[in-house]
Amino acid sequence: MFSLIGVPKIDFIGKRKISFLFSLFLIVVGLYAFIMILLGGGNMGIDFVGGVMVQGHFEKPATIDALRAAITSEFTDAQVNEVKDFSFPYAFIVKTKRPETESQGAQEIKRISALIKERFPDNKFVEDSESIIGPAVGEQLRKDTRLAVILALLGILTYIALRFDFRSGVAATVAMIHDVLAVIGIFYVLGLEFDLLVLSALMTLAGYSLTDKVVVYDRIRENLRKFRTKADFVPCVNRSINETLSRTINTSTTVVVVVVMVFLGGQTLRNFALALILGVIIGTYSSIFVASPIVIEWESRFPKRFK
Amino acid sequence: MRSQNWRLAATIILVILAFVGFWNTLRLWTLTGEDRRKMETRKPGSVNELERKAMRLGLDLQGGIHVVLRVMMEKIEPSARVDAVDRAIQVIRNRVDFTGVAEPIIQKQGDDRIIIDLPGYTDAERAEDIIGQTAQLEFKLLESYDNAQMIIARIDSVVTQLRKAGSDAGAAGNLSEGEPEAGAVTPLDTAQKTDDILADLMGTTGDSTTADELLLESEENPFSQYLDPYLANDKSNTPWPGYMVSAKDKKMLEAMLALPQVQRLIPSEVQFAWSTRSEIRSSSEVCFLYVLKSKVQFLGKYLERITLGRGQFQGHTVDFKLSGQSSAAFARLTGANIDKPLAIVIDNKVESAPMISSKIRKDGQITMGSGATLQDAQNLAIVLKAGALPAPVEIIAKNVVGPTLGSDSINKGFKASIVGLILVLAYIAFYYRISGLIADVGLLFNLFFLLSIMATLGATLTMPGIAGVILTMGMSVDSNILIFERIREELRLGKTVRASIDAGYQRAWAAILDSHVTTLITAGALFVLGSGTIKGFAVSLFWGVLISLFTAYVITKLIFDFRKQAKTISI
Repeated sequence: MFSLIGVPKIDFIGKRKISFLFSLFLIVVGLYAFIMILLGGGNMGIDFVGGVMVQGHFEKPATIDALRAAITSEFTDAQVNEVKDFSFPYAFIVKTKRPETESQGAQEIKRISALIKERFPDNKFVEDSESIIGPAVGEQLRKDTRLAVILALLGILTYIALRFDFRSGVAATVAMIHDVLAVIGIFYVLGLEFDLLVLSALMTLAGYSLTDKVVVYDRIRENLRKFRTKADFVPCVNRSINETLSRTINTSTTVVVVVVMVFLGGQTLRNFALALILGVIIGTYSSIFVASPIVIEWESRFPKRFK
Repeated sequence: MRSQNWRLAATIILVILAFVGFWNTLRLWTLTGEDRRKMETRKPGSVNELERKAMRLGLDLQGGIHVVLRVMMEKIEPSARVDAVDRAIQVIRNRVDFTGVAEPIIQKQGDDRIIIDLPGYTDAERAEDIIGQTAQLEFKLLESYDNAQMIIARIDSVVTQLRKAGSDAGAAGNLSEGEPEAGAVTPLDTAQKTDDILADLMGTTGDSTTADELLLESEENPFSQYLDPYLANDKSNTPWPGYMVSAKDKKMLEAMLALPQVQRLIPSEVQFAWSTRSEIRSSSEVCFLYVLKSKVQFLGKYLERITLGRGQFQGHTVDFKLSGQSSAAFARLTGANIDKPLAIVIDNKVESAPMISSKIRKDGQITMGSGATLQDAQNLAIVLKAGALPAPVEIIAKNVVGPTLGSDSINKGFKASIVGLILVLAYIAFYYRISGLIADVGLLFNLFFLLSIMATLGATLTMPGIAGVILTMGMSVDSNILIFERIREELRLGKTVRASIDAGYQRAWAAILDSHVTTLITAGALFVLGSGTIKGFAVSLFWGVLISLFTAYVITKLIFDFRKQAKTISI
């Protein structure tokens, strides 16, 4: 039997003051970011707010600064990014966002191509992809997204409510929200783009995070059957965390490993993968340091033996 | 033992089914360039057929065009709106079929939207031309030259008057020169307003000085000086109101024509119309402005058997035939107007205005404008054959992926999957030894079943879909980890191998079920959200999770059942 971790006896619960403080910080940042996004801020993808995207590569060397200077001379809000490890070097993505009318995008994309041609007269820019999303389509997607998120949340919460008692259900949900908010906060602070893919990563994460907590709660429930006195509650929870630690970390590791591969697998999925990686790491942390301590705090204030 | 039997039977049946479902995809994926050539020579079209049977690749992987159209209901009569979208879809489907794109997807979305996916087709401009044209073809006569000149003279005088008012405003502006924003505080409110209107008409993207120029230049014939009559009958040398205009002046003339004061001058039975495209004449870009009689003389929907033709000289033509009543009507029209030009108007733009040389009864010809290419003629033939759209459409979203980006994504996705798979397999084998290898076998089955199910159900593999496949590989390992950790604990407590395995599977069940159900719910919600690429992710996530449940409790359990007899177990 090979084991990296075995069943350790670490006092996770004792460290809950520090972890609560840290989590409080994550939640505050995340909530701020979430509210800013709801108010129309944040670096939203063109699929949500509308806009145009042109991806292409130059046939001869070109720098991102030269391209950015050319583009921003007319489109001050445009984003210009380099695409690394594409089949060709000197590959770039240009984006403008939030068009006011449906036809503006088509005009902008023509103008961007023309502008690049003017500024780089003897260096051909080969377009590999372009995308226009009008404001109406963005609006529709925002609506659909709200629906999907609500649907997923309702579904998952209903399941949790059916499967678990009130306290562990609420605690797991709180920890899940903590994880998702933390990722939103980190994305917001780093100025990373929220697009539809990142949103699906967050939704996947919500499901993953919940079950990660539920595994620990399952174990607590099982162990509580063996220890019935009140004084045993805290050690019992701590023991459950330790017993499931090996599983928690192993599963997270494999998921992170594969998602890192996705991260290395190209531009389109980079933010999606990053959201998942961050989420799984934070989720693992919160499974150990946040989810169960919540139950303990609750129990110590309103004693009603956790079952 | 009975439970082992059904597990074994289920496994064998499913493996066979999966092989059948995956066969075509497997064949296609393992084809080399050489094989493709051989197949094509043996039986033309067989590679295409195989591609159709194999797993469908999303636009992001194989390249292609995705367009969302909005049918502009506000532009048509309320009574025609009921089935306008469905009729538009029919017309667009016909047009796309004529281009020969394999497997297009054309479907209705919401009340007034149409989604069009053209996989493998990357000529965005042509696609837009073919899909987006309303293709309302009308034949119209030209206004008499004298009448046209009279209207143009009136436009000249109105614009001159407006300019005079404008130059007063300009003078007022000059008083406070040196302050760049002086124009904003001009005392002449009315002139300022006209200026604003003009600026609006020029469009915000237009050169801001053009509006001023339009008002301040003091030529005598502000409108007609840009018009160069070019259309005349060769025989009689009668001029017709077809004017050549330098392309750079077009915007300004459009703005003048759009002025409400000018609009009032143009009688309702007369209309100004621009040529479909511009062309190069003596090394400068020009376009054409026609003065037409508004009355529609003949409609394009009566044309039959449309083919591409070749013009008398060099230009391209689109030939058509007429029959029955429409033939008689067209003969009457052409017979009565010999040696006069007939404007061919498509979507309110003049394609060309050839002279009618004789009465046309059955065989007609649409002369393409002299700047038209063969492809323009082909596109026109396609849209005429498929018919006009019941309402104009506008493109509200578009995504074009070139073939390079697509193959780049495939390569990277493939590499990421393989490396991810190997890392996971190695990690599990390292950590759980023989049991880990069994879990690895389960994982490989998992992947195989997943790809097979996606191929069988006709799901589309997209880049996010590949991410979903990779993610489920990671997640499905979780079931095994839960079970193995449990077995280890039971063994630590000193239980026998048999008891430990039974307990491990039994006790891990609840947690495994929970994690699968929540992921299934998420996948379901993402599927409802329903945008093309995300759907790919949702589908692979959904099936991946479902299958992993099966492999954990049927296939790897099967192997573990056989291991129960052992005294010790490598885990």
